[in-house]
Formats: sequence, structure tokens, C-alpha cells
Amino acid sequence: MGERIDWRTGETMAFPDRLDLQRQDLSQVYRPQREWIDGRGLLIVIAHFFSGIGAGAWLWSTLYDFPMGQALAIGCVIGLSGVAHMAFLGRWDRFWRMLRRPHQSWISRGIWSIGIFGLAAVASMLPAVRDSAAAPVVLGLSVLAATAILLYEGFVYAASRAIPFWRTRLLPVLYIAYGLRGGAALLLAVAAFGGSGFDVRAVEVIKLWVVVSTAVLILLYLVSSTRSGGAARESVAQLVAGRISPAFYGGTVLAGIVAPIALALSRDALGLPELVLLGAIGLASLVGDFYVKYCIVKAGVYVPLVAAEGVGSPG
Amino acid sequence: MRLGMVIDLKRCIGCYGCQIACKAEHGTRPGTTYARVVKREWGVYPNVKKLSIPVLCMHCAEPPCVEVCPTGASQKRSEDGIVFVESDFCVGCRACVMSCPYGARYFQDEQRDYFDTGENEYEQALYAAHQAGVVEKCDFCRHRLEQGQEPACSANCMCKARIFGDLEDPNSEVSRLIREEGGFQLNPELGTDPSVYYLPPDR
Ligand code: SF4
Ligand code: SF4
Repeated sequence: MGERIDWRTGETMAFPDRLDLQRQDLSQVYRPQREWIDGRGLLIVIAHFFSGIGAGAWLWSTLYDFPMGQALAIGCVIGLSGVAHMAFLGRWDRFWRMLRRPHQSWISRGIWSIGIFGLAAVASMLPAVRDSAAAPVVLGLSVLAATAILLYEGFVYAASRAIPFWRTRLLPVLYIAYGLRGGAALLLAVAAFGGSGFDVRAVEVIKLWVVVSTAVLILLYLVSSTRSGGAARESVAQLVAGRISPAFYGGTVLAGIVAPIALALSRDALGLPELVLLGAIGLASLVGDFYVKYCIVKAGVYVPLVAAEGVGSPG
Repeated sequence: MRLGMVIDLKRCIGCYGCQIACKAEHGTRPGTTYARVVKREWGVYPNVKKLSIPVLCMHCAEPPCVEVCPTGASQKRSEDGIVFVESDFCVGCRACVMSCPYGARYFQDEQRDYFDTGENEYEQALYAAHQAGVVEKCDFCRHRLEQGQEPACSANCMCKARIFGDLEDPNSEVSRLIREEGGFQLNPELGTDPSVYYLPPDR
């Protein structure tokens, strides 16, 4: 057991530290994954959240020609996600080595996508490029790279053969949908808090459609996971009725699905100014977008080493 | 040649000798146990059964850890099938930890010591071989194999529950045991084709 100060009482209290948890996990049939969620592991969820909404925001703001949104998208993908990625790595000084195996590893493909996106997106905003004949090519490259970023995140998890809850083609689809809705949510929030030159109404309609469809996707994902064996069932159980249920119901369901729909439906009853309402929808969605990724990653449990009924026929 | 191991669950008495031998051989930090013994119980009193299951890296023929590694740090040797981590290439992304179904990989996060008094000379000497911020795992004691010795865990098992050998040689002891005693792999449905086989406890 380690020790830490309880900030409420000022008392020293014992807490299970990493090794205690590891010991405890090894004795369980369903061992939770911790490396990508606990401690510094949370940074990978944060990194994927920012690169997802950043790539989504780039696609929307390119579609609706919203330079402020484009700048924000670059900040999310290269700035916030980049820093979180680096801080997560055990040896960030060797990060360039992750470019070595794009033919095999989804992480490698993701790093390439982020790099190409950074170069193309920044270049496309430079006046010299914007006014040149190369503009459509550079912009097209940035759009392709942003799409690849949305695509790779889900596949990074789906490539984990040891965690059945993640090992489904539905996960990349869910990540793409959440990236797109997160990008739209970011633009709504920006528009509400002073961003100008952006047609919020156009995105609002799409946004609501995406909120509803992601809700359906999550349901599909959970239902199909219950049919993917014991470990995936355990993950679903932890989400809907176990250790992760507060984050799932509060963050993913309430903030991410119920609140945006309720706010949109009660538009007239609330009588709020249009932009404030849209900003609130955007912010609630962003919270939901973070929590859906947090919950999915946290719910990952490993396939049991030894089946619950034993090895051989222990009786 | 495909190096592998057979673990006889009937012979293992769960003494943790292999786990300690491995730690002594490699001088790993607290929390890192390339070879470990898992204990499982089944049934309800008075009809209960307890089993000790020694585990280690399964040196899978189709290793998912190698497949997902973005740097090429995780590799499989073509000459004998040993899966190992080239620490100098590892960035500590832990994708391999997520894809290993057998809990065989350990991220070297905190550089923790065993004793409050700090590192003793033995620890200082052996810890020097381990980098921080990378993933480590069993490599079937490559350094011992080079000297003609078998891995520390099997060499030190007093019950001869861990038997090391070449799975591709039909006349080796490991091949014979798998064939004649009903050897099986853990989680074969995952398609990893482990090079570590188990013999049933109740044969
Ligand atoms: S047991 Fe795990 S670490 Fe060892 S080869 Fe198989 S997947 Fe890789
Ligand atoms: S932690 Fe190291 S060995 Fe594992 S996948 Fe990442 S780079 Fe490869």
C-alpha cells in the first residue's frame, strides 16, 4: 500500500498503488487494462479526444469555409493531441521511430496521418499557398489526412487481440462518428463564444442527426459486445452496472446524448438566445465525446488466461 | 527450430521457484515478473480444486505484440521463434501490452526499489540492464541459451514441471510430451499459436 494526503481532511491515508492494483488484477479472472487509462495512461484518451475532434472540426470548417475553425482544428490535432501523445510515451525522445511500420501498425499510420495533416493543414492556410495553383491539392491532402486520423484511432484499439470488447469493426465506425460530431460540437461552441463567419444553423441540423445516430451506434456496439464472449460481456457489465457506470451514464449518456437532444427539443420553452443554446449543445456534446472514449477504453478487460471453468477438467 | 516449453500442471506444486529464479536471473524491478505462477480455485467447499499455473511469454508463432508494434522494437527471431523487445527501439506506447492475451509484458514505469534502504550492489548491477519507459518481457533467457544453458525458470524447477526444448523436433522431449500426454495451448482460439504447452493436471 502507498500513502497519500487526503485533501479534504489533511490526513495521511493508505491507497492501493500501481503494484497493489497489479497484484490484485493478476488474481482476477477478468484483468482490467490499466496502461491506457490509469495515471499517465489517461493522456492517450485525451490525445485521441483532441485529435478526433480536431480532425472532425477541420472537415466541417473546410466544408463551410470557416478559417477560425480550421485554426482551432490545427491547434487540437497538432498542439493539444500532439503534446498529450508525447507526454504519454515512455520515451518521447524516440517518437520518430513510430513512423517506421505504417505497413503493419495502426499507431504508425496514425502518426503519419497526424504529421501529414499538420504540414498540409498549416500550408493550406498560408496566403502564399492559398492563392496558388497548389491550393486544392494541399487542401485535399489535409482532408484526406484528417479522414485518416478519424479512421486510425478506432483501429488502434480494434487491433488489440487480447481485449475482446475493442476487437470489433464497429469501434472504428463509432470513433469516426464521434470525431465528426465532436468537430461539429467544437465549432458550435466556438461560434457561440464569439466566433464569427460560420453558418451555425447548417451544422446544427447535421449535429443533431449525428447525436441520434451515435446513440444508436453505442447501443449496437454494446448489444453486439454482449455476444462476443465472456470478457466483452464483462466490459459491458462494468459499463452499465459496474465500476464505470457513473462515467457512462453521467458523461456518455446524459451529457453526450440526452442533454444535446433535450436542449434542441426545448429550444422554444427555454427562450435562450440562439447562439447560447447552440453553444450549450456543443459543450454538452464535447463532454459526451470525451466520456465515450474514456468509458470504452476504461472498460477494456483482457481475455481470461484460464477459463472460468478451469484448465483441463479440474472438477 | 522452434523453441518452446511444456508445463506439466500435475507436477507443479506452486512453489514460485521459477518466478524467483527468473527475478534473480534478470534482476527485474518490483512488479515485473516475466515468469509467474497464477493460482486458481474452482468449486465450493468441500468440493474444491486448486491449481497452480506457471505462465510466461508464450513466444507465440503468430505474436500479436509484434504485429501492433509501431517501432519494430518487438521482434520474433526467425531462427528459433523467440519473441523479444529491442529496448533501444521501444517508445513505451504499450500497444503490445494491450494485444498480449497472456499478460506477459511489463511497462517499466516507476523505477522502484525493493527496500527502503535503496539499491544494494546486486540490484545496482542488474538494474543497469533495464531501461525506464520501455516494455520488457521474457526472452527465454537468450543469454543463457547462448552459453548452452536452458532458461532459468525451467533449470530451477525442482519438480521438473517446466520442460524446455525444440517443438519442431519430433524426437524432443517437449514434442513427445505434447503428443503423448495431451499437451494444449492457452487461448488457442485467438490464433496466436503459443510455443508454450500445458499438460492436463488430472491425467
Ligand atoms: S505471449 Fe504475449 S508477449 Fe509473448 S509472444 Fe505472445 S503475445 Fe507476444
Ligand atoms: S511499447 Fe515498445 S515494444 Fe511495445 S508496441 Fe510500443 S514500441 Fe513496440
